[in-house]
Amino acid sequence: MTFEPGLVHTPLTPLASDRRIDFDRYGRAIEFHLRHGAQSLAVPMHVGESVSLADTEKRQLITFAVEAAAKRAPVIAHVSDAGTGIAVALARHAQAAGAAAVIATTPYYWTPPPAMILEHFSQIAAAVEIPFFVLNAPDDMAGIKINADLAMKLVGKLPNFAGVVDASLDWQFMIELLTEAARVRPDFKLIAGTELMVSAGAIGATGMFSALASVAPKLVRQLFDLCRQQKLFEARVAQEEIAALRQIVKPGGIAALKAAARAMGRDYGNPRPPLLPLVAAAEKRLLAELETLPVLAAEPRGW
Amino acid sequence: MGFASLNPSYESNDMQNKFRGVMQSPVTPLKDDFSLDLPTFERLLDFHVRSGAPAISWPHHKGESLNLTIDERKLFAEAAVKTVAGRVPVTIHVSALAVEDTMALARHAQDIGADGILAITPYFWTPTLEAIEAYFVRLCTSIDLPVLSYNSPSYLAGVEITGELMAHLIEKLPNFVGVKEASFNSEKFLEISRAALKLRPNFAMLTGVEFLLPSVPLGGVGSYSAAGSICPNLCTELFDSCVAGEWGRARELQFKMTRLWHLFKDQYPSSLKGGMVIMGRAVGPTRAPLPTATPERQAYIRSQLEDLGILESEPYGW
Repeated sequence: MTFEPGLVHTPLTPLASDRRIDFDRYGRAIEFHLRHGAQSLAVPMHVGESVSLADTEKRQLITFAVEAAAKRAPVIAHVSDAGTGIAVALARHAQAAGAAAVIATTPYYWTPPPAMILEHFSQIAAAVEIPFFVLNAPDDMAGIKINADLAMKLVGKLPNFAGVVDASLDWQFMIELLTEAARVRPDFKLIAGTELMVSAGAIGATGMFSALASVAPKLVRQLFDLCRQQKLFEARVAQEEIAALRQIVKPGGIAALKAAARAMGRDYGNPRPPLLPLVAAAEKRLLAELETLPVLAAEPRGW
Repeated sequence: MGFASLNPSYESNDMQNKFRGVMQSPVTPLKDDFSLDLPTFERLLDFHVRSGAPAISWPHHKGESLNLTIDERKLFAEAAVKTVAGRVPVTIHVSALAVEDTMALARHAQDIGADGILAITPYFWTPTLEAIEAYFVRLCTSIDLPVLSYNSPSYLAGVEITGELMAHLIEKLPNFVGVKEASFNSEKFLEISRAALKLRPNFAMLTGVEFLLPSVPLGGVGSYSAAGSICPNLCTELFDSCVAGEWGRARELQFKMTRLWHLFKDQYPSSLKGGMVIMGRAVGPTRAPLPTATPERQAYIRSQLEDLGILESEPYGW
C-alpha cells in the first residue's frame, strides 16, 4: 500500500463571525491549495484548529474536503483525540468518507507513557485499512514525542503504519528512524512536518506538510521540488526565506497565520476561542515584518 | 589591545576557514590509577593528525574536561600544542564550572600558542541572554585568539544562544568566529546560520558529533567528531561526500556514523574508550562518576564494530 503524499498542504479553517465553519470559503481554500502546488491535503491539522472543532464538525469537514478535492488530490484525515475510542471512530468515518490515509499524534493531555501511546496508535491503525501516519510534534504536545524504538514496535505490529510526519526537527530521531524502519519496511516514509525540509530531505524525507502554503505557496513548492530533486545546496535560499517567514508568523501562532493569509487577500476569519485574534498593535507589527520579505511579492493574492 | 587592531586582515577567508571539516577532539588517556597518561596522549594526538584530522580540539566533554583539574587541563593543553606542532590548528576547550577558571584557561591557551578556544554557555546557572552575552564579551575581549562558541541546549537545561544574540556577538566581537551548534535541530541551526552568515560569511557553522548530512546543505562547514578515534576514514569520507553533494553516498555514511554514535553515546565517553581497546588504541579507564567500559561492554562494542565493517575499513593500532 505505497502511498506517496508528496507536498501536503494543511489548510486553515475559515470561520464566520459567528465562529461557525464557513464551508463556502473552505471550498475556495481547497481550490486555492490545489491550484497552487498541493499534491495532497491534510485536514484538519492543528493549524486547521482541529482541537477546537466538535466531533461532528470534523466529520463534516473531512467529508467536505474529500468531495471538494474530487479525486484531484488525496486527502489525509487528521483524527487525533484524547480518547482512543473517539479517534478510532473518526478514523473509521474518514475511511468511509474516502480519505486516502489517516494521521494521528499522541493522545492529548494524559502525558502518556510509551505503552499507552503504542496502544492508542494500534487501535486507531487497526480500525482502518488505509495507510496510517504518526505525527511527531513534541512542541505541540507538551514535549511528548515518538522515539525510534516506539516507531519500530508500531512497524512490527501494524501493516498499515506507513510513516512518521516529523515536526520535532530532531536529526538524531530522523536518522535513527529511517535507519531502523527502512530495514524492515523499505517503503516506510519520513515526511517533514514543517517547511524546514532541507535537513529532513538530506536524511531521506520524501514528503512535506506545509501550513505556510496558505501564505506563500509558490515558495513552498519551489523548496519542496528542489529538495525532492536532491538539489540541497540550491534549496538553501528558499529554505532561509521560508525560515524567515516562519519566524515572523510563529510567535502569534494560528492567529498570526490567519492575519498573514488575510494580508495576502484570503480572509479566514479569526481563530476560535480559546485562541484570540492578534491585538491591533501585534497585527500591525506582523504586517510590517511581512513587508520586509521581498519574496512575498511573487505570491498569489486573493483566492 | 583588541584582536582587530592586531590583525587588520582578520576577516580574510583563511583565518576563519581553518575551522572546518571533521575536527578531532581526543579523549584523555588515563593510567590505571586514573592519573594522566602523557605518552599515550601524545601518541593519540599524533594518530589523529596522521589519520586526517583537519584540526585538533581538547578537552571536550568526551575528553572528560569537567573531571580534570585546571592544572591538568593546562598541562595537557600545552602538550597538545607542542605535539601537534603546527601541523593542524589546535583549539582549547576552556569551558569550566567557574567562569574565572574559563578566563584563566583562555589566557593560558593564548600564552602557549593555541590557535583558538572553544567555550560553551556557562554551566548550571541557567544564565539569561544578557548574562550569556556579557560572558562571551568578557571572554572574547580578554584574549586575541579566535573564539568558537558552543551551543548545547539539550545538555544545559535549554540555555542557548539565539540567532539574535549570535548576531549581537558577531557585531561586537571581531574574534568571535564560529559556533559548535549541538542542538541537532533544523530550526535552531537555521536560526543561527541565517543570523550569523549574513553578518560574517566566514563564520564557522559547526555541528556536534558528525551530523554533517543535515547541516552541510544549510551552510555547515564541519563538525567536532565523536567517533574519530575509532573511524577516522569514515569521518573523512562522510565530510567529502557532503561537500561534494553526493547525497546518496552521504546518507549511507551518515546512517552508519549515527549507528556508531548510538553505540558510543551510552555512558559517553566510556564506551568510546572501550571501543578504542578493540581498535588497538587502548587509552585506559574513565574517571568517576563516569564508569569504565566492562569486558562485557567491550565485547558488545566489538560485535557492533564487526557488524558495521569498521574493523576492516579503519586503522588498527597507533
